Amino acid sequence: MTPAVPLGAFIAVSAALFFIGCAGVLTRRNAVVILMCVELMLNAANLALVAFSRRYGATDERGSVFVVFVFVVAAAEVAVGLAIVLSAYRTRPVVNVDEARAMKG
Amino acid sequence: MTFDFLEMVLFAILAIAIVGAGAAVVLVGRITSAALFMAFTFLCMAGMFLLLGAETIAAFQVLIYVGAITVLILYGVMFTPQGSRDYGLFFQKQTPWAIVFVAFLAVPVMVFASSFQDGRPLPRGGDLVPLATSLFGDFAYPFEVASVLLLAALVGAIVLVKRDDEEIR
Repeated sequence: MTPAVPLGAFIAVSAALFFIGCAGVLTRRNAVVILMCVELMLNAANLALVAFSRRYGATDERGSVFVVFVFVVAAAEVAVGLAIVLSAYRTRPVVNVDEARAMKG
Repeated sequence: MTFDFLEMVLFAILAIAIVGAGAAVVLVGRITSAALFMAFTFLCMAGMFLLLGAETIAAFQVLIYVGAITVLILYGVMFTPQGSRDYGLFFQKQTPWAIVFVAFLAVPVMVFASSFQDGRPLPRGGDLVPLATSLFGDFAYPFEVASVLLLAALVGAIVLVKRDDEEIR
């Protein structure tokens, strides 16, 4: 049975979302928005992993295992990233990354 | 009545929603709206995973991304000062729109739900069994490393936001 939606369509959506997130990381200045865009990029990579895993390796789901690890890394990253943003804001009240020149307290 | 075309239609809707909401995260100025658009993108991505047949990953996506990470990001939004706060009542007084959206969703759902017949039984577990076999078999060592990473992130986040000054305590 041939699937209704071709694999390339999923990969196209994944690539579009990845580049949207990439543009956000490069253009936005608010540190929290940059974290959001990083999460978008991670999620786009997840879509590509799941799509390839379902369409090529249907027996043992190895790609989806990596998606689970990406979930773990994303959770750790957003926790530490927000802690860094809050800690840096407490030292010096700026949220824009181009105004925060030093990480030193 | 068959629904073979439905997968393509769902994919088109989800793809447009993902790309549109993702672009809105980047383009919209108000940071709370950006966070909610991000949550919507994650939710539509869970729908994509369901379309691909990865139900367990979709459940993890809803739990971790839509639940945990969005809440963390919203905490970050609330703890840092943002520009204007005149959008606090964004989700109130939306009753006509709510009725329109519910009607738009409810009619296809009811038609689809009434079309089910008794088919062949599905294999039990879906994608959970192969996923768990890989995760706890070949990838058991990276699984343990991931738990150590989570512990390190937990301790690191606590240490980073801990106040040193005594008068706060």
